[in-house]
Amino acid sequence: MTASFPGHDMSRRQLLRLAGAAGLFAGIGLSASACAGPTGLPGEDTLTLALNRSLVSLDNKLNQFDAAVTVQRAVREGLTAIGPEITPIPMLAESFVMLSPTRWKATLRKGVTYSDGRPVEIKDVSTALQMYREVQGSFVAGFFPEFPRITALDERSFYLDSKAPIPILDALMALILITPAADNKPEELQTGVGTGPYTVESFNRGAGTYQLLRNETYWGTAPAVQRVNVRFLPEESSRVIALRSGEVDVIDSISPNSMEQLSGLPGVTIETASSLRMNQIFYNFRKPSSHPLSDVRVREALSFAIDGQALVHDVLIDSVEQAQGVTPASLFGHAKTGDFVYDPAKAKSLLKDLGVSDLKLKIIWETGEFPSDTAIMEALVQMFWDIGVRTELQQFEPGGNILQWRQGKEGDWDLLGNGFSSPTGLAITMLQGMYAGTPEKEKTRDTYQGYVNKAVAAKIGLAAAEVDEAKREVYLKDAQQGAWDTWPCAWAFVPKSILARRNRVQTLSLSAANSYPLSHIGLEA
Amino acid sequence: MSTATHITQAPATSSAPSAVTAKALKASASARRARSAKIKLWAGAILTLLVFLPIVLANFLPLADPNAQNLGARRLPPLSDGYLFGTDQLGRDLLSRILFGGQTSLMIGVLAVVVSGAIGVILGSIAGFYGRWADVLISRVLEAQMSLPLLMMLLLVVALFGPSIPVITGVIAIAQWPEVARLTRSLVLVEREKPYVDAAKTLGLHKISILIKHVIPNVFKQASLVILLLLAQAVLLESALSFLGAGPQRPFATWGRLISDGQDYITTSWWMVTLPGLVIVALVVGVNLLGDALRDGRPRRKNRKEA
Repeated sequence: MTASFPGHDMSRRQLLRLAGAAGLFAGIGLSASACAGPTGLPGEDTLTLALNRSLVSLDNKLNQFDAAVTVQRAVREGLTAIGPEITPIPMLAESFVMLSPTRWKATLRKGVTYSDGRPVEIKDVSTALQMYREVQGSFVAGFFPEFPRITALDERSFYLDSKAPIPILDALMALILITPAADNKPEELQTGVGTGPYTVESFNRGAGTYQLLRNETYWGTAPAVQRVNVRFLPEESSRVIALRSGEVDVIDSISPNSMEQLSGLPGVTIETASSLRMNQIFYNFRKPSSHPLSDVRVREALSFAIDGQALVHDVLIDSVEQAQGVTPASLFGHAKTGDFVYDPAKAKSLLKDLGVSDLKLKIIWETGEFPSDTAIMEALVQMFWDIGVRTELQQFEPGGNILQWRQGKEGDWDLLGNGFSSPTGLAITMLQGMYAGTPEKEKTRDTYQGYVNKAVAAKIGLAAAEVDEAKREVYLKDAQQGAWDTWPCAWAFVPKSILARRNRVQTLSLSAANSYPLSHIGLEA
Repeated sequence: MSTATHITQAPATSSAPSAVTAKALKASASARRARSAKIKLWAGAILTLLVFLPIVLANFLPLADPNAQNLGARRLPPLSDGYLFGTDQLGRDLLSRILFGGQTSLMIGVLAVVVSGAIGVILGSIAGFYGRWADVLISRVLEAQMSLPLLMMLLLVVALFGPSIPVITGVIAIAQWPEVARLTRSLVLVEREKPYVDAAKTLGLHKISILIKHVIPNVFKQASLVILLLLAQAVLLESALSFLGAGPQRPFATWGRLISDGQDYITTSWWMVTLPGLVIVALVVGVNLLGDALRDGRPRRKNRKEA
């Protein structure tokens, strides 16, 4: 007779189940305790910023996106800077005055040194101007009608002379960051010292991380925060979560949806300011003359297809304003030149009258070019479809080759989602950067999406050279109306600068330039 | 399985008392496996069909256009205003986008596994049947490919050739063939030593004929189970690529993109991430359970036939 099987002893299977359950509870317990508080919190005297774009350099010769300005200016400074009132304020120059339409005089601040102890000299300024002029694909060069010549008067004072008047030279010089002449090169500098309130302790260009340390020999008011960590978090949701958990202190350039998520959260404050930026759905002006988009009437007709108010209210949750001209209203010298009107029936009938049928448009843009970019682009697909225009979207990820596409070197496109800032706070700077293209510049593809219009360029040139402010205003209005009448974009909007910070970050003053001086920030204990 | 069958018959034919009670038999490993396979089969089939059928029939269901926007009805929660799954950030019907997006994801997945299955079965059979240089060459190639990080490789190829449905399908297919090939090779290695292969050779059949007409049909059933499991992996890969921005260009809705777009609204509109995520989970779990059940259930059927 076979012995019966034991009934009540714990079997191997039951033992394994018990062990599994114990392991599960232990795992959940550990995870829960780990989630209970934020990890990787910044230190008491450390400020951590998370940028939406990779800070590839602390130099601005080739590129200067909004968020970079905050960090770049914390390490390197110019003779002047654009202050909170969007006017030039003296920095390394204690005075910067216009003596005549073609001559300015500047005097360097006494006793200013770089973080390594070298003094700031006049040759550093002349070398910087030369390097900005010589660099290929310069971001800054397009804003200067011509680069001024430097003539030293004594150790600290010098003239800046030009052939034609440059009445806004004090604002333009805010774009020229000063580096020791011996270290400066006609390229985007990866290393080197500056005169700013912080020095670079370490960096990883590929990862876009920088560790800044307080410059103990800074000529101005010493910054309150000892250390600043700069991180690159491209995903907006990741930046929002990092801020919520306290892992980072400040995130900038956030979308209206993130603002909605963060509003009212304990420990988080939203800062907003007007903006010097204009985001547009810009046409490709490199199309052959036979292409429908080369006809200004077609471009105007297409603009009637876009329901701008719906995009502003529903997609962008009233965090932007529909443009009423070719420059943002916050810029000095802005003139209202017209409105974008939504009238799909008119768009259809105009296109029909112009004999345009079976039109297909390719829209390109880079992810993160402006907040809610993909939602806007997908909304455009529907709006163009409603007037019988088919569209194809091509989205580029950051680091891709959209620059080659924009220059017409890689492929053809019709509309570009793009933003453009005026780093000087002046309308004339934006006009020169976007609408003052010439056939010579187009040969090297240095125009803004191929925009070349002699009449508009001449008007901009007239305004740029006018010293008399009243006359300049008239010329500026004329130039802006001229650019508007060419219907350069299907739609445009002016965003607000939006930033979110932990409440421990004090005295952060966000400017319309979507940047803020790091040296003014204090941290609550 | 066979053990279980014989034991259950024993008490009926023997009058001698036995410690093997019906309760003990029910708790036996083989009976447990049988029950588990049955549950897996049903659960897998239900989950798979729950996702698969609506996707296949999406064109015939009374659904809104997946790309039709209604900016005035943005981010409506599920079960509101005629929207079963709610709406997305542009007021598009989320259910419709999940189902039509599923067509894209499933089409890529099915095409990819068909291509990878074909490549894998053919190359694996050649490697296993012919051996020597063919085996060395094919085995080294598949080992080399399996040593590469899969997602990185996919992203690289998509970055080089651009994100389009044929490219993504091809890339996933190329990425998945080694698994099928490796299994097929090992199955063919066993088959080629069997007497029927020798008999065929003796009868003068050409090697290729033996492979195509006799060997491959005998291993295909087992290999096809792996191909089925790869379908879930292919759908996941496509979703991962779309999530990372390397999927088909907009406005094509794909599951990965729905989740990627929804993550910006995760705290205010949970359904935009959760519902597409649940659909992916249901399909992947369903297909895996189905594959497991078919694998576990197969020997029992075989033994029943033998009995």
